[in-house]
Amino acid sequence: MIEVNELTKVFRKPVRGEGLSGMVKTLFSRKYEETRAVDGINFTVPDGEIVGYIGANGAGKSTTIKMMCGILTPTSGSVTIDGLEPYRKRRQVAQNIGVVFGQKTQLWWDIPLIESFKVLKEIYQISDTDYAERMDFLGEVLDVTRFLSQPVRTLSLGERMRADLAASMIHNPRILFLDEPTIGLDVLVKEKIRRAIHALNRTYGTTVVLTTHDMTDIEDLCSRIILLEKGKILYDGALKSLKNRFGNLKTLTLTVPAEIRAETAPPLSPELTLSEEEGRLVLRFDADRLALEEVIQYAFRELRAMDMKLAEISVGDVVKTILSQQEAAHAEKI
Amino acid sequence: MRYVHLYLTCIKRSMISRLEYKKDTLVALSSFFFSNLCSLAALYFILQSIPALAGYSLPEVGFFYGFSMLPIALDHLFSDELWLVAYRRVKDGDMDMHFLRPVPVLFQVFAETFQPEGFGELILGAALIAVCASNLTVTVTFGSVAVLFVGALFGAAIITSLKIAVAALAFIFKRSGPLLQVVYNFSNYAKYPLAIYPDFIRVLLIFVLPFGLFISLPVDTLLYGKHNPWLLCGAIIGCAAVFFALAVWVWTACERRYESTGS
Repeated sequence: MIEVNELTKVFRKPVRGEGLSGMVKTLFSRKYEETRAVDGINFTVPDGEIVGYIGANGAGKSTTIKMMCGILTPTSGSVTIDGLEPYRKRRQVAQNIGVVFGQKTQLWWDIPLIESFKVLKEIYQISDTDYAERMDFLGEVLDVTRFLSQPVRTLSLGERMRADLAASMIHNPRILFLDEPTIGLDVLVKEKIRRAIHALNRTYGTTVVLTTHDMTDIEDLCSRIILLEKGKILYDGALKSLKNRFGNLKTLTLTVPAEIRAETAPPLSPELTLSEEEGRLVLRFDADRLALEEVIQYAFRELRAMDMKLAEISVGDVVKTILSQQEAAHAEKI
Repeated sequence: MRYVHLYLTCIKRSMISRLEYKKDTLVALSSFFFSNLCSLAALYFILQSIPALAGYSLPEVGFFYGFSMLPIALDHLFSDELWLVAYRRVKDGDMDMHFLRPVPVLFQVFAETFQPEGFGELILGAALIAVCASNLTVTVTFGSVAVLFVGALFGAAIITSLKIAVAALAFIFKRSGPLLQVVYNFSNYAKYPLAIYPDFIRVLLIFVLPFGLFISLPVDTLLYGKHNPWLLCGAIIGCAAVFFALAVWVWTACERRYESTGS
């Protein structure tokens, strides 16, 4: 179980001038500026849950993860992992967590992958039977067996990420922190990584906290999401209720005869908006207020639809809307 | 015991890394050997033109020089990674992986590299001592030989401790390499008899950066019986214990300030 309580991290940096003369002045100035990277956040993650930790670049996601795994010490507030603070009891906590930073490998660069695993076996004091079992499991779900004898340096990004993921799971951690585990990967590798995370969660009940910019990752994996912006939590809850935040929004995309135009079409209700996008007619409505059946009949009868596609609003759309509302509100204040 | 086993595993890993780049290893080994050979040659030529240095003859100065290489070589074998920490790894946020593992960070830094180049210096130093000693008439006692061993072994521990403490400052300043270089370069002073230096450098080299304590004083004891060997052994071991304890304390305090980099 992870408990985060009023967690805050402030980075203090000298105020810098520009160019060489500015840099020289900086040497003699005592002015500092403070960045509140994480600003008094609270949440709890129970065992076995997969949580998506999302937000724009620089929202404070990685900083939070680094405090949760013991790399950074918080400025104030606390994190506990099964009752222990990772920055105080770093070694005990490290035994129970696995961490992947998509941007940086945790593996030794110039030795064959299998040698890295052997060192990790010693570091985490894994018994021979456990090690064999984990290698079987990881070989199967992440398909790493094929390139075990290659130095990490020569692996492709997709292979390296799978190797990193396997390395983070080798000691069967109770909690897994994944910071952008799918960054820069192709669709197939992403799919493989998602399946591995699922398999791990199902088989061993591992708790997973993952940050990502890929909304498909979120929809596939996470039952709960935490949305962070400028170091503060904007939303924490079920993925489903985030989607419904703006009502049960649906879009119906129609292929219609050329003479049917958005402006001239007979209106159905003020609850329904019509627009033209890429030569198709797009109908947006709240399915809790306007019956779907009614809209579909209208599409066939009044708009003479030849083809149609019904879609729910995507998480990406919702997050985009929330973040841009936030930005607009922020701009107004200034 | 666990840590001995783990250290050996990691060192094996480091050797595999080194052997990945065969030519690189050979170049490094031979370049270290030659750079030491060059400084020895320079010393030889200088002393050829000056008959004696503050009353010390050529073989005596050679003996000093050779002995000073031993603790430096021992330190070089085990703690070379500290240079990278001080110059680059903290600044680049490259220490994250060590913070994620259930083993002390300092231990992992030591287990990261083993420098076989140190053996070159060790052999060269020992050879120089042997050659010079055969040209000297020394009354060898058990105590004076013991003090040489203690000086080399615990002297290495003192050098390593100094390096740990200064490298640890990188966690606060992001980079402490240049400072580490300055401290380390004081070992150059200790390659010659202390008698050639003015008083304040002598005091500095015995009490502050004690290179003189474990290099010059033991050699003086062997060659001229200047000091009580057992007292000197005690002083060197005590000094090493204090320095090591302080260094680990400084490292632990600084480690918590690590800030990593944005990602």
